[in-house]
Amino acid sequence: MDAAFDVETLRHAARVAGFALSDEELSRLQPAIEASLRLLATLDALPLDAVEPTTQYRIL
Amino acid sequence: MSADLAFTGVIDLARMVARKEVSPVEVVRAYLDRIAALDVTLRAYITVCGDEALAGARAAEAGLMAGGAVGPLHGVPVALKDLYDTAGVRTTAGSKILADRVPDADATVVRRLREAGAVVLGKLHMVEFAYGPEGLNAHHGAPRNPWDGAVERMPGGSSSGSGVAVAAGLAPAALGSDTGGSIRIPASLCGITGLKPTYGRVSRAGVLPLAWSMDHVGPMTRTAADAALLLRVMAGYDPGDASTSVLPVPDYLAALNGDVKGLRVGLLRAFFLESATPDVRAAVERAASTLKDAGALVDDVALPAVGHVGAAAYAVVGSEALAYHASWLKGRSADYDPDVRRRLQVGAFITGAHYVRGQQVRALVRAEVDAALVRHDVLLAPATPLTAPRLDERQTTLGDGPSDVRSALIRLTRPFNFSGHPACAVPCGFSTQDLPIGMQVIGRPFDEATVLRVADAYQRLTDWHTRRPVLA
Repeated sequence: MDAAFDVETLRHAARVAGFALSDEELSRLQPAIEASLRLLATLDALPLDAVEPTTQYRIL
Repeated sequence: MSADLAFTGVIDLARMVARKEVSPVEVVRAYLDRIAALDVTLRAYITVCGDEALAGARAAEAGLMAGGAVGPLHGVPVALKDLYDTAGVRTTAGSKILADRVPDADATVVRRLREAGAVVLGKLHMVEFAYGPEGLNAHHGAPRNPWDGAVERMPGGSSSGSGVAVAAGLAPAALGSDTGGSIRIPASLCGITGLKPTYGRVSRAGVLPLAWSMDHVGPMTRTAADAALLLRVMAGYDPGDASTSVLPVPDYLAALNGDVKGLRVGLLRAFFLESATPDVRAAVERAASTLKDAGALVDDVALPAVGHVGAAAYAVVGSEALAYHASWLKGRSADYDPDVRRRLQVGAFITGAHYVRGQQVRALVRAEVDAALVRHDVLLAPATPLTAPRLDERQTTLGDGPSDVRSALIRLTRPFNFSGHPACAVPCGFSTQDLPIGMQVIGRPFDEATVLRVADAYQRLTDWHTRRPVLA
């Protein structure tokens, strides 16, 4: 998802996630969502293809 | 009770009770009186369990007089962050949504503390659902950091009441929880000791979650030795928490020999010291010199991957927290603190792929910390890069540039929630504004003994942990 988008796109994404947010709520959330996506985009730029994901420490 | 007794540590209190030098009833009543006198201003407690605590103290006294077995915490008061389930006592997680929730059973660690003889004084203030490092709470107000009588400052969170209660002598020990630093941040800002054990060392059964793969629970005390005693009681396998380890629990107190000669200490300079304000940086560098003078071998260490922890941990915590809160967000969203609600809702826009990316970064960070701990016995870093901000402060300047306060507070603790390594925050100085400075000692997985040994040795060499705030 692009870091800049309109409320309609947000509404769609929220609905997919199971949330029926009003336009007012979505507008209020928009700056935080855009900041979130900018932060998450930094993960996309990392060379992680050869790294197997993990969850937590070795459980003994 | 004299102020001296209010600031007597857990080990000494337990010894005094066992020797019948002080009655558990006297101790508990005195703490309750002190809470009544000071907590109107400090706001550390959400629920004070006065009657239950006195009943517990009377039972402890009766057991002692009857010559019964005495547990390691017999008659010692403790207080609990208000996300630990307590049978018959409301457990709110600092929220409106759970304001009237009364569990019918104790959390595993609460049960273990009671079995060791501890008496629960009450339930402590916290950030709503533990989601925030400042210590703010829209429903209950923020607890007051006791170190500044003139300016309201952040106590740190999310275990805000735990930090304030121990620092102000309203409890000799408290339990906190730590998802991104929520034990170590208030410990640092309030000038006390706070231990985040290894992931899997202490059961979280009966503790309300924020993000399962990042959540840890641990003790907050005035000394590392007190934390060692509590950890011994709390730790160990629990069938109620699948993440707990079957590794035996060592006698952590026995490991505290005051000796750091030959121990290899890695000082985390890049990202950690470099982001600290000048006061904090100088204090941690002095602490490293103190350890070196005592015989430790200190050199610099770098963990380059921690620069990615902010984004990666955000993806993990945002997703896991949303999963836990989804039904309330749909049905009771108006009952959340607006700031907490907003951050939870934004989690709905984190994709599964981002969550997995986060877990890939976790693998990198974990491997990097492990590698550093092959060459070193412990790592040393500031716990927070700054001292307690003003309550209304939202932006700050760190050693490497401007930052929002929330990110700054969590920046140096969160990497070790992500990696799962044990880390203990201890006081290591005071700023030019007379505010406490905290550093953290990080160790190998399940090697809390060495972490506590270094923290305790440092406290034998310094007196920062003995200082007390001036309370009106």
